Amino acid sequence: MLPKATPREELLINLRAAYARMWVRLRGSNREITGLVAEIGLPILTIGAYVILYRAIGLPPTAGAAVIIGGAMIAFWTNVLWNMSSQWFWERESGNLEMYLVAPVSRMSVLLGMAMGGSVNTSIRALGIVLLGIFVFQVPFQLADPLSIGLVFVLTLVALYTMGMLFASIFMLYGREAWNTANLLQEPVYFLSGAYFPRIYAPVVPFALQAAGSLIPMTIGLDAIRRLAINGEGIATVWPHILALIACTLILFPLARRALNYMESLGKKEGRLTLRWQ
Amino acid sequence: MAIIDFVKSAGESFRVGWKIESNWTDPVLFATYQVIRPLASLLIVAFIVIIGASSVGASANSAFYSQYLAWLIVGNAFYAFVLQIMLGMAILVHVDRTRYEVLKNIYISPGTLHPYVIGRGLVSVVNGAVSVILTLLFSVAIFNGLLHMNIPLNLLNVNLLMLLPAVILGIVSLLAIGYMLCAVNIVSNRMEFILGDSVSGIFFLLGGVIFPIALLPSYVQPISNVLPITYLLNAVRESFGLLPTASYMSDLAYLAVTTLVTLIIGIAVFRLAEQRAKKLGLFDRKSEY
Repeated sequence: MLPKATPREELLINLRAAYARMWVRLRGSNREITGLVAEIGLPILTIGAYVILYRAIGLPPTAGAAVIIGGAMIAFWTNVLWNMSSQWFWERESGNLEMYLVAPVSRMSVLLGMAMGGSVNTSIRALGIVLLGIFVFQVPFQLADPLSIGLVFVLTLVALYTMGMLFASIFMLYGREAWNTANLLQEPVYFLSGAYFPRIYAPVVPFALQAAGSLIPMTIGLDAIRRLAINGEGIATVWPHILALIACTLILFPLARRALNYMESLGKKEGRLTLRWQ
Repeated sequence: MAIIDFVKSAGESFRVGWKIESNWTDPVLFATYQVIRPLASLLIVAFIVIIGASSVGASANSAFYSQYLAWLIVGNAFYAFVLQIMLGMAILVHVDRTRYEVLKNIYISPGTLHPYVIGRGLVSVVNGAVSVILTLLFSVAIFNGLLHMNIPLNLLNVNLLMLLPAVILGIVSLLAIGYMLCAVNIVSNRMEFILGDSVSGIFFLLGGVIFPIALLPSYVQPISNVLPITYLLNAVRESFGLLPTASYMSDLAYLAVTTLVTLIIGIAVFRLAEQRAKKLGLFDRKSEY
């Protein structure tokens, strides 16, 4: 019988697993330059269309700035959907899932690695989208409190990727449903989060819509970032947002852990963890 | 006989494609899936106009905004054809070659790839048509029924004699562009996840989907003027009575010409790709990410 690892050894091996998974993600996503260029350039096409639409209906240039930030945040949502939520599906299709399952590490550390790699990768792309958007569309920003923007941004990413970990667990046994569900969660979330609106918490937007949108951490973070970066407001106005983002993380993380254990156990019972081409 | 065989092969391909796209779930969930995405896209642009109107102190019921909303709903609804065909056909070669590993078997079968690609493309056309119809119905129900916005959009007054030729030509042009995307993916294994989004994104920006192309910078307008989607959406809006019908025949003529050119280029590009793939042994190339 193998000797039981001490808590310190266990922590170290899990951190190494997370680092290894992050490294694969960073290396894999950045080795192909066409992908990087497309991931920065493609959102600009949609953002451009909305900026011109705003001009057509007579909105001020700050509305364009709101769309650029929304477009950059959508990059994170897309990453969460396709590179976190659907990841176990891709891994099963390529025959890697069983290797993760027999490795002597927590599956949460693998998900943590994916989340760290994904958030770093997507931050590079989001920065590219914002800079290119500002250059092309010449929209105004007021960065009065960059530290607060940084804080809200990090909290948003943590909450968002924790949601990604929960989705990854739920999607674990999906076959083609993974592809279709990820597709399904794109436009409705763009709509509910108000990514392309000047602001979601406006009186003209029905309360039910605002409440549904607030279940997605991106909606809360996006509104706070817009207030700080476009309206020039201070951290005092976004305290509720910060508390809500922390609450989201504290609720979603244990849920993700429980869901992962449940789905793994269900997959083992039903023999679906190695099933391909569903 | 050759035509009968082609149609038969395309029909079988359609049947396979339809099963792959739809039998992953039950029919109710599949129908919901078909509705939710285009409806959410529509609600995004509609709410932009509603929020925009309120921001400038106007009512969304005012003549300009309600007229614009109708114009926008129709453009956005018919853009579903672009999305479905581009995204469906851009990923087709990758899925059949890498995931299911059947592209080589299809290629060596007597029917060849052409009817297969057409049949699979027609599945996207059906999906697109369902999305268009449901989006239009939901739009009228939501904006005129629920929100009482009196948008000038009467689906019973659509001139079908004007609408159908435009839609048929538009679908042919989109299938021809989808053919080109398949061709690119046969000779490349790095573009499958970005090609469909790239082309549909360009059409969204330059095709007059959510704003008139006159609002684009003058140096990009010539590109809009050679895209079939521009004339498709013009002709569709004319058949809905949202643009003056006087330009209908010229829009239809431009659509026919751009469709013909796209078709010729599409077939030529596909044949070139097919030859190159055969020469380099690309039909069974497998790539992993």
